Amino acid sequence: MSYLNSVRLHFKGKFQAAPSTVNNDPVHFDNATFLPSYQDRQIVSGPPRDGWWNPQGDATWRLINCAVTSAWIGAASPAPKDDMIHSCLVADSDRTVAAKLVDLDPEQQLVSEIWGMQVRISRPDGTNVLRSHYATAAFADIWDRAQGGGGDIGAGAMYQSVLYDLEWGDIGGSVFLRTLRDAAPHGLLSIKFNVDGYNMSFGSPDFTRGRIAGTIGPASLNEPKHFVLGRHFMTTAGPGGNFFAPAGKINFCVAALDEPAGKLLVDLGNALPSQSAGGPMQDLGDLTLAYIGQDASGNPVPVNLGNIPYLQPAWYDQTAGIAEVPADRSLTSAEIAAIQSNSLALLLTPTPADPAQIAISEPADGLYVRADRFVYRMDPGDRRDVSLYATKWGQRYAGARIVSVFDPSQLQSQEFSTVGVPPDVAIPTKAVEFPARVVADNQGMAKLPIHVTDPGDPRLYIDGQVYGVRPMLEETLDYGVNYPFSPWEFVSLLAFSGFTPDHPPTWFGSMQPIFQQYANLYPVMSRFLNLADYDSVSVNVDLLQLAFGLNPEDPNSMPVTRDLSAAKRKAILQWLGHPGHDGRPLKGSPRPESAPRSVAAPLPPKAAPVEMQLARGGKAIAASRRVGLRQSIQLPRKENS
Amino acid sequence: MIHLKAELLEDLKDSLPGLRRAVQNAIELELATLPPYLYALYSIKPGANLEIAGLIKSIVMQEMLHMALDCNILNAIDGHPVIDRPESVPKYPGPLPGAVESDLIVPLAPFSKQLVHDVFMVIEEPEDPLHFPVLKAAEIGAPQITIGQFYEAIKKQILKLSETQNIFTGDPARQLTTGFEVLQTLKITDAKSAIAAINLIVEQGEGTKTSPLDPEHELAHYYRYAEIFYGKKLIPNPDPKPGGPDYVYGGHAIVFNPAGVWPVVTNPSLSPYKPGTKAANLNDTFNYTYTSLLKSLHLTFNGQPDRLAPAIGLMESLKEQALVMMSYELVPGQTAGPSFQYRPVL
Repeated sequence: MSYLNSVRLHFKGKFQAAPSTVNNDPVHFDNATFLPSYQDRQIVSGPPRDGWWNPQGDATWRLINCAVTSAWIGAASPAPKDDMIHSCLVADSDRTVAAKLVDLDPEQQLVSEIWGMQVRISRPDGTNVLRSHYATAAFADIWDRAQGGGGDIGAGAMYQSVLYDLEWGDIGGSVFLRTLRDAAPHGLLSIKFNVDGYNMSFGSPDFTRGRIAGTIGPASLNEPKHFVLGRHFMTTAGPGGNFFAPAGKINFCVAALDEPAGKLLVDLGNALPSQSAGGPMQDLGDLTLAYIGQDASGNPVPVNLGNIPYLQPAWYDQTAGIAEVPADRSLTSAEIAAIQSNSLALLLTPTPADPAQIAISEPADGLYVRADRFVYRMDPGDRRDVSLYATKWGQRYAGARIVSVFDPSQLQSQEFSTVGVPPDVAIPTKAVEFPARVVADNQGMAKLPIHVTDPGDPRLYIDGQVYGVRPMLEETLDYGVNYPFSPWEFVSLLAFSGFTPDHPPTWFGSMQPIFQQYANLYPVMSRFLNLADYDSVSVNVDLLQLAFGLNPEDPNSMPVTRDLSAAKRKAILQWLGHPGHDGRPLKGSPRPESAPRSVAAPLPPKAAPVEMQLARGGKAIAASRRVGLRQSIQLPRKENS
Repeated sequence: MIHLKAELLEDLKDSLPGLRRAVQNAIELELATLPPYLYALYSIKPGANLEIAGLIKSIVMQEMLHMALDCNILNAIDGHPVIDRPESVPKYPGPLPGAVESDLIVPLAPFSKQLVHDVFMVIEEPEDPLHFPVLKAAEIGAPQITIGQFYEAIKKQILKLSETQNIFTGDPARQLTTGFEVLQTLKITDAKSAIAAINLIVEQGEGTKTSPLDPEHELAHYYRYAEIFYGKKLIPNPDPKPGGPDYVYGGHAIVFNPAGVWPVVTNPSLSPYKPGTKAANLNDTFNYTYTSLLKSLHLTFNGQPDRLAPAIGLMESLKEQALVMMSYELVPGQTAGPSFQYRPVL
């Protein structure tokens, strides 16, 4: 079960995401070459500044005025008109600070996670009917949603996760909420939301805000938390675009069959292009859901199942892009049988005079594999079991053979920096070990154990190293990289470097470089204390001990960026907790000047003015720095069996 | 000085419920001092007027302690502090909770010496301040009492009720014992400890009848504000003479640089920001965070003392947001400020 369920609510409103942009440039991590101007905000048409568009960002993530726009207690069964759910809001925490939006790494900025978010369903007076925690999850499927691109402003992406620790309030007056609670026997709900229309204009009232539309439904323990165990429509990249421009105009999306109800639920919330950033849908013509059957001669022929009214006013607001197909009837048993072994497809008919064209479809044999959680931070010696799920025609694929390979193609180390050349990613590979093959159990599930050792300091001034690991079904290897797949569906992991502080830790001995880097990259901290200054740090020991001691799931946890290794955290807490005779943390002695490290020469001027490029936004530039080694992925040979 | 309605004393009467109501009122009174003090504090530009900011911050911290002590007293007598009720959230401009309506109207205003003199010193003023002429009191109409007298009445009532019954039956696990050192040593378990807490509150605010120092040998709030107003540290009189003052405002100068204060709007609730503007969005978010803080504190003092850490995080977030607002220019020469209003959803 997931949000893509006949029992669900939809909401629509705004989100806020206010990251610091100083850390968008990997080269800014180098304390040795950091300049104060890297904290200056870029002003459109002003002289080049290197702090990009929001250097004072504090990583805040918020839900703003998200109203419930519709609710369903079953297939084709809206909640009663007088159900209180219709006046409720989907809100974030009312008892902690705002959640935080966090990149994995400056060289993997395309899996930003939301940490520490509570999700409430609340009445307008603040009375909660549900309080829950959002399991930390990253966005997926970023693409060029608005016509004409426009960098981050024109981008769309989606988040899917589960809500846990559910605290239900007084829901006696709501048939919908009782139905939702009863549909979720494991105390888990599934949430998915689409984000687009991001505002990067500093002077605008909506600066750092964008449009959000989402869905909440039931979840179950034995299904993935971050994607739907369903029918995945796959496409390939068309020309252009900052992130991903789908060849058939419709982005990756998913459908799920409600067999008893005879309905297919298809989620197009992050798949249909808009006319403008955060604007209405582009008119692509008539849109239908079909399956690819065969005619009498065995040739493939699409069989329509129903129309999707995506151009109706307020359709997106009220559905978050989810359609029940067919709308006016149930699927016949023959249709249900047919779709269980044939590809589903979305067809577009641009004008009545045109033939219907397949815009996007399932792969020919309906195969799909994906890691559930796909972002990991690991310390030397850590082992994590990544949950993989394999499906065929949306059904669990028992015994599926899954191969996994290093795939750095979507990591971002290509030169863009305005101030230097970023370090290489994904080396040394020997620091990350995982089996080349795993076999799914009878539930189509497999654990991919990833073991990490100390990668050393391959990036000198950035802790650890980032890697990508991509699972694939062995049967698809014959197609090589031509089997339809999503570039985004791989495991990103940050392996921290080993770290040994001086003993006992002192400011000059090992703390100063760590604190200096945070002071450089997060100028917002200067509103509280100067992290680069021993005296300022030492009079704020209590606050720092509190913040560094918190679970990273806590929205107050420091560092906000969740990029501190366990070894460094331990050393910081030891340093803060063991003051010297003067009652202050140990200061130690300044290090003797070491020979200056050779620093790369400044880059030649860019073809386009720097400020023009920066105005595209951090995600767009990160996307442009992707390694793009897709063609050089080393595919393992198929095992003889 | 602030004049409270004498009916607060009536409310006390001889009953335990009346005592609980009185301590609840004391909690609301302490809480209500924080927004105006913080508003003035955050209006001081980062790095400017450091000594003044330090003095105000030290008072703010102690007001928070006073509120915590009042909550601990109320929990000790098996009461339930209420902090997040929309109707009890203080309104500005307005009188402090329980104050007579003709009394001081407390504004949200940027820092100025006049504000310190006309408002903050009045809030903290003892019944009979040392060495200074008594400032003009509000017109006497209905019967009135001072904050000190109010706390004195609470003390008497604690003693009186304790003569015939054990009123300290609250769950000790509801006490907050972290956040301030004092809370670790001064646990409220009986009349003696409750009275020690009240004495600390009154003396930190007003000093004693014979000294401007509190029991911890720090200047009481009233005199710290007076230092700011007079622009000099209060020091032991270097030339004491019989009958002369023990202390004089003769220490080092506390320099005030008016350019080091943002020109923040006064009483933003009186002319609300236009919906949809940047100022309105910032203000709404601030108020949502403020309301979350009140809810978080409510939980902290109602059986979940370990929720202090999230509350501290919210306080830091409020500070950051206030600094952003107060540097945001509404119109040339005037910046925005948060209205400290109840807002449970954003």
